[in-house]
Amino acid sequence: MTRRRAAGVAAVFILAALGAACSSASTSTAQSGTDSRGLGGSLTVSTASSLGPAFQEVLVQFTDDNPQASVELNVASSTALALQIEQGAQADVFASADTAAMDVLARGGHLHGASEPFARNRMTIVTKPGNPLRIRSVEDLQRADVVAECVETAPCGRYAARVLTRADVTIDEGTVTRELDAAATLGAVTNGDADAAIVYVTDARAANAKVTRVPISAENNVEAVYPIAVVAGTSERRLATAFVTFVQSPAGQAILARFGFLPAQ
Amino acid sequence: MVAAGLAFAFIALPLIGLLSEVAWSRLWHDLTTTEAAAALRLSLVCSLAAAALAFALGVPLAWVLARFEFPGRAAVRALTLLPMVLPPVVGGVGLLYAFGRTGFVGARLDEWFGIHLTFSTAGVILAETFVALPFLVITVEAAFRGLDRDLEDAAATLGASRRTVMRRVTLPVAGPAIAAGVALAWARALGEFGATITFAGNIQGRTRTVPLAVYLFLQSDPEVAIALSLVLVAVSVGVLTALRGRWLVR
Repeated sequence: MTRRRAAGVAAVFILAALGAACSSASTSTAQSGTDSRGLGGSLTVSTASSLGPAFQEVLVQFTDDNPQASVELNVASSTALALQIEQGAQADVFASADTAAMDVLARGGHLHGASEPFARNRMTIVTKPGNPLRIRSVEDLQRADVVAECVETAPCGRYAARVLTRADVTIDEGTVTRELDAAATLGAVTNGDADAAIVYVTDARAANAKVTRVPISAENNVEAVYPIAVVAGTSERRLATAFVTFVQSPAGQAILARFGFLPAQ
Repeated sequence: MVAAGLAFAFIALPLIGLLSEVAWSRLWHDLTTTEAAAALRLSLVCSLAAAALAFALGVPLAWVLARFEFPGRAAVRALTLLPMVLPPVVGGVGLLYAFGRTGFVGARLDEWFGIHLTFSTAGVILAETFVALPFLVITVEAAFRGLDRDLEDAAATLGASRRTVMRRVTLPVAGPAIAAGVALAWARALGEFGATITFAGNIQGRTRTVPLAVYLFLQSDPEVAIALSLVLVAVSVGVLTALRGRWLVR
């Protein structure tokens, strides 16, 4: 009996503590707005897989400038992210690896204002370090036992398909492992046993010595355009807009350039 | 009472959600598309092979765990059951570093036999066996423990060799439990996703099993994804129904 009462008392205390935590959280949101130290509030940024590492850095600088703001990245394939937003998932900003995923949201009325391009990227072949199969071109991928590509629905998969079409090369689907996003596709070579992969130049750069890069000739390569937009359903419109502005600012662009992205032009 | 109702609803609602989205009239068409059929065929082959492998390896292990006292038995049992609670993707990473081309076992296999398990159908079977084996071991071990030792002793007194006792007495008596263990292992193997995609990749007709196809189709053709999901639900319900006497009534 006494034990049960003790448990009851403990429960009351826990509830009280939770209540206090909740109310303090809501006060801090209530204070959000401009002061000398920037904007407050919390943002969820749906981030294309290939942007993950660069946006991690963008996040650090943005929250340095706005110490009262907290930003979370939700990193996945742009197609998966767009699907999530369509289904009403919590997101304030969407940074996509291609315009197709963004257009789906624009058509569905899920964006606040228009999206704007903020970076460009290109594709490259990567192989196991030292390139044991001596892959020199897109055509040589036909000789590999296993080639990693993104699923056709993800932007990186669409870009890879376009590279193959431009080079007029068909790879037997029975030798292609389809990974869910750009990071996983690179991982199939760096951690897995895939012989080669078609990935973003930025991802290949970040992998450093874990892969050997085999450039795709200019006439076969494609240009990946990255658009960014504020999501219509956001409750943090000012902060979301500020984040988008920061990505496009010289400071944001400098970070992206450091990770190998090309300017949007 | 309310909590119990909520718990049941929590489990039932996703199933209802899935069923409400099924395009029944196009179900057969969806399941016989080239990609879906390839995934179904591959899943059937791999899960049956994994169940057979789990049987061949799991029954002896269950027997040793049930019948022999040896130092570290508790640790061996705990380790055997680990894949039941381990995130499958972690299992896949472990398999990669053991059986991958540069893994400590995989490198030998490559060097001596030229065998590559990663990105192969054999790799899928390996990953599925890894996650399914504990289900068989735990079921069969319990049966061996609960077995009436007098039966075996009687057979031995009547002059039966150890092997004959095993074949004619122990295995038949434990038969239903072994069948249940195999069924559970098979169902678990059929649903395997994380370890498979991590270790064996996602190659059409080679390693793209039904769960991988479901995940893939969800982005391109949700109707096919739902049709394939329905097959997995049907199999799960079928296995549970078959095990009804063992689990549901008691």
